[in-house]
Amino acid sequence: MSMMTGKQYRESLSKLKPEIYYMGERIESVITHPAFTPHVNAAALTYDMALAPEFEELLSTKSHLTGEKINRFTHIHQNHDDLVKKVKMLRALGQQTGSCFQRCVGFDALNATYSVTYDMDKKLGTKYHEQFSSLLKEIQSTDIMISGAMTDPKGDRRLSPSQQKDPDLYVHIVEKRDDGIVVSGAKAHITGAVNSHGHLVMPTSAMKKEDADYAVCFYVPVDATGALHIFGRQTNDTRKCDCFLDQGNAEYGIVGGEALIVFDRAFIPWKHVFMCGEFDFAYELVERFATFHRQNYGGCKAGLSDALIGATYALAQVQGTDRASHVRDKIVEMVHLTETLYCCSIACSCQGYAMPAGCYMADPLLANVTKLNVTRHIYEIARLAQDITGGILATAPAESDWKDPKIGKYVDKYMKGIAEIPAETRIRLIRLLEAMTCGTALAESMHGAGSPQAQRIMIERRANLERKKRLAEKLAKIGDQPKLVY
Amino acid sequence: MSPKRKPRKVAIKYCGCCNSYVNLSEIACHLVGMEKRHGDFVLVPFSEDKIDVVIILCGCPRACGNKEEFKSRAKHHLLVAGESVNGRATPQEHLIETAQEELENTLNIQNSPSSRH
Repeated sequence: MSMMTGKQYRESLSKLKPEIYYMGERIESVITHPAFTPHVNAAALTYDMALAPEFEELLSTKSHLTGEKINRFTHIHQNHDDLVKKVKMLRALGQQTGSCFQRCVGFDALNATYSVTYDMDKKLGTKYHEQFSSLLKEIQSTDIMISGAMTDPKGDRRLSPSQQKDPDLYVHIVEKRDDGIVVSGAKAHITGAVNSHGHLVMPTSAMKKEDADYAVCFYVPVDATGALHIFGRQTNDTRKCDCFLDQGNAEYGIVGGEALIVFDRAFIPWKHVFMCGEFDFAYELVERFATFHRQNYGGCKAGLSDALIGATYALAQVQGTDRASHVRDKIVEMVHLTETLYCCSIACSCQGYAMPAGCYMADPLLANVTKLNVTRHIYEIARLAQDITGGILATAPAESDWKDPKIGKYVDKYMKGIAEIPAETRIRLIRLLEAMTCGTALAESMHGAGSPQAQRIMIERRANLERKKRLAEKLAKIGDQPKLVY
Repeated sequence: MSPKRKPRKVAIKYCGCCNSYVNLSEIACHLVGMEKRHGDFVLVPFSEDKIDVVIILCGCPRACGNKEEFKSRAKHHLLVAGESVNGRATPQEHLIETAQEELENTLNIQNSPSSRH
């Protein structure tokens, strides 16, 4: 098998038996449970769109390992065009789902691990890259979905991994055996974890010698013994079970579907271990993964914003405010902010560069700027959407009241905007706007791919302030004056 | 006694220097000093014919100067791209000596002084 369809993806998930818990229950199937189906649907679109003629140019490509046609989400970037196409693909998917489609995290984890294992082997004489390339070939040929699991629960943030009272607050090696390693700990906020086929687990921060047991990178199947998943709550999540229209985006949900993955003495065979104590490479892996993941946000969030702007504009028409100059101006501002984010993602892709492994990486400084802008602009775009929508965003009656034989006629009558458009249209748009701007989706823009301070730290590291100082000194005629040569 | 070898032609080509992370001028100045000390090579304009080595100086890892059009102007090329020399990670403070070593290896020059000036 090479590229799967969405249907085949769902079928492949139904063959797995991962240990998943939600709201106090063990979940038997993510395919049929209403809390999970939107997330499965969104991920399934990454399969179907790769085979659709309209989108195949973005969502599929050729493997540099086998020459076979593969889904781009399993690809290792080979040039600038790959980096740019990644961003365009994410925007196209965001437009179609209006939500997170989850698969970029594993994609970024694959790319970061590919280049770091190469560098490790060159310096240390290890065999990680060869092992990782074998797994990559398998992932490409089977087209399975991989989650990227980086963030540990972290416990007391003042303490390093090895200083924590509870050693499990960071994923760590508890035993090294002839056939592999045994790990314990947890990874938090892992997008798409419950509907992936496996997890690529990476360290979460720079490590010192005393943290060597925490410098660990490995692949683990979702249904491995010793791995369990606790699915997180989202804003209005009970609406998935008791209504349709009030969900706003019933097909694809409001975020990616995040879970806490717990490893309780999970066994990892050596062939799936890609870092085991090489603490001085932990930061490299973190930085490269973060760069790839922050590169994304001006793509996918621009796609989501396209849908949000469309909903806002359509609602303004339904409410008869679309010709008001201040509404038009606010919509223009939403477009401006959206395209600014897209510019950032395209720019960090175009400014990307080749790594020693031969693969390509986005520019880290610009990728961090991209994500930092997302933590602000998406909030502003949402604020403007809420401004134009009006207070009804927070007070609209329930779908069940609209359908009620006795009072439904009042809901219908008083929810109407302009006479020619049915109340249902207005209600649907309001609910979509509510889903996209009120709650978990915004927090995802703030903290997904790292909190704003993480971006600021990386921006400062790469700001090259000394060079900027020299530029100023040259203009102000301070000290030795550099000359241009040649 | 072997006849004195004709100095090889070395040219420098910059990426364009839109936003250099490193001080490329410093590297170029050092190469000018090397030329005077050695006599094994002569720095020529990039437009010259039959160049032996082209040193492509790029201010950041994007390496905009790393293109076939430039590389094909000479028999050999040496690439500085931000904090790397020929793809090898090199901190800014070691860029000059590493670039010098790479040039010496390419030209087969032995025992040259590596001090900055």
